[in-house]
Order: sequence, then C-alpha cells, then structure tokens
Amino acid sequence: MAEKIVEEMKPFFDPKAVAIIGATNKKGKVGNVIFENFKMNKERGVFKGNIYPVNPKLDEIDGYKVYHSVEELPDDTDLAVISIPAPFVPDTMRQIAKKGIKAVIIITGGFGELGEEGKKLEREILEIARENGIRVIGPNCVGVYVPDTGVDTVFLPESKMDRPESGPIAFVSQSGAFAAAMLDWAAGAGIGIGKMVSYGNKLDVDDADLMDYFIHDDSINVVTFYIEGVKDGRKFIEAAKRITKVKPVIALKSGRTEYGAKAASSHTGSLAGADTIYDAVFKQTGIIRAEDFEHMFDLAKAFAQLVHKLPKGDRIGIITDGGGAGVMASDAVAKFGLKMADLSEETVKFLKEKFPPHAVVGNPTDVVGDTDAERYRLALEAFTKDPNVDAILVIVLFQVPLLEEEKVIDIIADYQKKSDKPIVAVAMGGKKTDRYARMLEEKGVPVYPTPERGVRALAGLVRYAQYREKAKE
Amino acid sequence: MKEEALKVIESVLSQGRTAMVEYEAKQVLKAYGLPVPNEKLAKTLDEALKYAEEIGYPVALKLMSPQILHKSDAKVVMLNIKSPEELKQKWEEIHENAKKYRPDAEILGVLVAPMLRPGREIIIGVTEDPQFGHAIMFGLGGIFVEVLKDVTFRIIPITERDARKMIKEIKSYPILAGARGEEPADIDAIVDLLLKVSQLVDELRDYIKEMDLNPVFVYEKGKGAVVVDARIILKEPKEKKPEVSSEYKERCA
Repeated sequence: MAEKIVEEMKPFFDPKAVAIIGATNKKGKVGNVIFENFKMNKERGVFKGNIYPVNPKLDEIDGYKVYHSVEELPDDTDLAVISIPAPFVPDTMRQIAKKGIKAVIIITGGFGELGEEGKKLEREILEIARENGIRVIGPNCVGVYVPDTGVDTVFLPESKMDRPESGPIAFVSQSGAFAAAMLDWAAGAGIGIGKMVSYGNKLDVDDADLMDYFIHDDSINVVTFYIEGVKDGRKFIEAAKRITKVKPVIALKSGRTEYGAKAASSHTGSLAGADTIYDAVFKQTGIIRAEDFEHMFDLAKAFAQLVHKLPKGDRIGIITDGGGAGVMASDAVAKFGLKMADLSEETVKFLKEKFPPHAVVGNPTDVVGDTDAERYRLALEAFTKDPNVDAILVIVLFQVPLLEEEKVIDIIADYQKKSDKPIVAVAMGGKKTDRYARMLEEKGVPVYPTPERGVRALAGLVRYAQYREKAKE
Repeated sequence: MKEEALKVIESVLSQGRTAMVEYEAKQVLKAYGLPVPNEKLAKTLDEALKYAEEIGYPVALKLMSPQILHKSDAKVVMLNIKSPEELKQKWEEIHENAKKYRPDAEILGVLVAPMLRPGREIIIGVTEDPQFGHAIMFGLGGIFVEVLKDVTFRIIPITERDARKMIKEIKSYPILAGARGEEPADIDAIVDLLLKVSQLVDELRDYIKEMDLNPVFVYEKGKGAVVVDARIILKEPKEKKPEVSSEYKERCA
C-alpha cells in the first residue's frame, strides 16, 4: 500500500506534464492565473514539466500551443487541472479516463456544497475516477502548491499573494481561502512550506490519504492540518496512528462548540459534543491539537527544525539575560506541565567559576544585562553537557548594550548543531530583534517572540516525544 | 460472551423495544464478565421473599418497566429493606408508585438486590459519533459529571494504555488516587471495566447505540468494583451498519 499511495500522489506534486483544462488568456480568470503560475515557474527554471493549456476556442496563449481537447494532449500528460464550469466536468473526466491520465485537480466550485444537483455531479465524477484508477483532489479547492517543483494551482495571483519558500512543513487545508491566506502569511513570517494541499470537498483524496503519503515524503518533517470535519472517521484514525509513529501531525480543528441541543437520552450522549470526540481522536492517535493558528505554526516551526532530536525528557533548562523574562518562562514551564531542570553540581560549579559574581547561576541562569556572547557560550556549554537537562530555552534580549548579536547567534546555532538536546530561543523586541530572530531561524533555531510561546512549543516537542516513545512499546 | 449477550439483545428487539431495562442491561454486562451484583428478577411477591432470603437482608428493590427508565423520578427504587414484613409493604408501595407515574407501565418484574457497601462513584458511558463511531466516556459520578462535566472520551476500541490515561486525565483523579489520606481506589478494576466495555461495544457495535453504567462503585485497591445501575439503548434494527466498508479493508490490507 505504501508504494501505491506514493505512486498515486506523485503526479500531483511533481508531474511530467500538466494539462490546464480551461486555460484562458483573459487576465485574472482562474484558468489564466493557474496557467501563468506554471508558466512563470517554468521560466524561473523551477517547474521542469511540460505545460499544455486546453481550450477549444484558442490556438495559442502567450506562445504556448493550446490543445482543443483532452484527446489531442501529448501522451506524457500525467496531471490535469480543471477549471471549467461544474456541469462540464463529468464529460471531461471521461476523456481524461480515456487518455489514461491518473491525477486530476478539480478547482471548480459548484458541486456538493451547493446541494443535490452538485452532489449528483460529484457522484458521477467519483464513479469515473474509481473505475479508471484516477485520484482526484477537490473539487472546490485551490489545489496544490509545491515550491520545489513549481506546481502552483493557487488561483490567487502572485501580485496579490506572496508564496512561501520551501521548508519541511506540509500544510493541508479543507478551506481554500484559509490555505491561501496561510501561504501568504507564512511567506511574510519566513516559514517554509514544502507542500500545501487544499482539497475542498474531498471527493476522493482526503486527510487519511495525505497522511499515508507524507509518511514516505522525506522532504516533510511535520504535517499540519486545518480540519473542519472528517468523512470516514475510522480511516482517519488508522492513517493518523500510522503517521504519528513516524512524524508529528498538528491539527487545528474549527467548530469547537458543541453540537447544540442534541436530544440525547443518556448522560454520555449529552456530554459528547463533536469537539470532545475530536479531542479523544487526537489523543488516541497522537495528533497534537493546536489551540489556534499561532499555536499551530509555533509547533510546526519547532518540529520542522527539531524532529530529529526530540527531547529525552521533560526537564527544561532556561538561560536568559533578563530576570523578568526568566520568571515568565519558569511560570510557563509549570503551566504547560513541564519541569524545571535541577542543574547538576558540575554545571553550578563550572558557571560559578567562570561567571562574574553578579550573574545568577541556577535555573533559570541569568547572564544579566551586561552580558557578552561569551557568557551565553559558557551557559550553553554547561547546559548541553548537564545530564539533568533535557531541553534548553535560551532567551536573548538583543537590546542589551554589550551583546555582539551575530556572535551570540552563531554560538546558539553552533550548540544546536553539536548537541543532541533541542534548543529553542526567545527574542522579545521590535524590528531590530525580528531581524536577528530571522537570522537565528535560518541557522536552525526556532525563535519565539515571548517566553510563553517558546515554552509552549517545547511542551509540544516533549509530548510528542513521549507519545513516540510509548508507541514503540 | 457475544452469543449470550446477543440472546438478551434479540429478545428485547423482538419485543419491539430498543431501551433495555436495568436487569437486561446487566445480563449483557455479565456476559462480558463485568462485575454486577448478585441480584434476581422476581415476578411475584413470593419470589421476592425467597430471593431476599437467599441474598440476605438488607436488600433493595427496583421495579423493572420499559416505560420507566428514570427509576428514581418514579420512586420505584426502595433501599435498605431489613425484613420480610418491610419487603411486603415496599412491594405494594413500589407498584403503586409505578402506576401513579405511568398507568400504562408494563412491569417485567422487581429486581431484588443486595445492599452494596458504598464506594467511590464512577460513571462509564458509551455513545456513537456519526464520524468516528462509538466512543467511551469515563468520569467520577454525581456532581463531577452533572455539574463539572469532568469527563474524558476515547474512540472504541481502546488499549490498556488509553484506559490508564483516561483515568489519570480527569481533574478529579486525586479523589481516586487517594487524596487527604484516603486509601487509593482500585484503579486496575476501573481499567478492567473500561477494557471490557470497549470489547463489548466493539463486538456488538451493530446493536448498541448508547450505554450508561452509572453509578459504578469502586472500592479500595484490590477490592474491585461493582456496576450498581446500567442502561443500554439499542439501535433500531434497520440502523445496523457494516462496521468498515470492504473497500477500506482492502486499502488497509
């Protein structure tokens, strides 16, 4: 099965040739934006496949030959992107089947979400797909975005929406609008997205299929989901259990409120709102539930960098150059159910010898406001060696006068590489701090704007590490 | 196990009912090895007197009627009956109360049950979610469920690890663990209950819609637990669904 899903999904993410059915030269139309995306990525040398626009009324778009029907398409076509009106899709699907194309993204809306007529169309399409071994993403979606291969069916033009760079995070979203907004935001926040899939009505390819696929995708370290609902709960649970043994899955589930006044005849029935059940499913399958959008990406960022060195336990060591920030972090350690590490005698002795008397050796260790980068190095040296410390939170207030910013960035990144303990950083501040934070992230250290968010991300790592450990039994 | 439970289920369905009375629900539980009290269904007063003698006074009486599922509302539960004289008197009273509450109530009999030593009260429930199937609930009984809604769920089937996590993750866990010098409760007995309920529902998922074991008395460590009251609601026979589509089974193979 493993190979089968990888084989099936490959044309969606890395096609040899894409047919854009409904391509047009009318600027701003869906069929035009998608064509432009592929064309632009081809010109940049990112998209390496062939591009075949399909439109019965045109002979040429921007120098590209237009095919008048699916039948005429060259034989290397392995992905079809459809953006023609819903009633015409079933016929096109039949031609696609005949042509032997096995991967289809249906961007078009106007299906099941509109009622019975649309559902009938969906059933027709699904039947054709199943009979011919075609996998379908959509309908009613923005499709797929893969920066590494230049696949981009997001019909919001680059002039209106930034695209993130590549990174080890996969993002899956039922909602297309949410997916687009998220990509735009991730681009701004400097978060790399390796693959985005928006599947809309989930006619065929669903969360479970994608989880099974991502198990085998080495470019992805962590999978994030925006979920509104699940169709086949059992299939979802089985796939989730399979993937969480290998890589972390973070889910943001909307609709936290209860079913409403469901007339339940038992206690249990009345207490089991939809959300309680999702909570149960997530706990049972090892999916980490994100409280909100921010939490989801805070976790994703941590996992993206640190999934290969998960903490061995829940004892956190904190290094800070500001007392208050250290206290906030310590509070957060308690709040998120972690423990403050009890530093070893060696650590305490080593730091007391090396530090000036006004620095505070302990947990948190406060290198204080007159610190230079060297004090951070000493503290990291001691903490990474200390057997009582499982993970390290290093708070850098870049504003202090004697701190050589680039030097401290290099030191933290260096220990991140050398040590098998995960290090996350906290940098509070404004524009200048943001710049340094970005530099630190580029060197493999996830950075958070508040101690609380940093500790919460660490807690996610700890919980997942515990789950993985137990799942091995 | 399954066969015995199915006999009870089929008998209830054949009477055109989906709500089991306590006695029937406990027969199903018993078939799966859940701890239920040594109680008997008396059809007549003479039978009741005989059973009370066998069980030993004091006993409790509970009237079984498909039309009266909330027994305490109808005042058809009589506790701590100490003698045959008292039993005769309560027998009359319980039948009168039933008639007052629901004149059309069909009476299947009266359950004669031993008075149980009180323990810490827990509740175990089952409900069916349209997407994920049957879910099992665990919580402490009384105000912890009613007011604080301090409960936790898992999708069935559960593993022993799930069961242990469920018990630990409710906020009122310290009450079971032994707060304020109290002896800890028999956690292993709760784990066993949860696993047995999970197995029961997993095997009978085509029949069972909802279930409440409420309350269950849990005793001190090593002393076990007992299901004091139980309700099971069956699915309408036409609601029966195959558990997993054959297509999915193929894909998972």
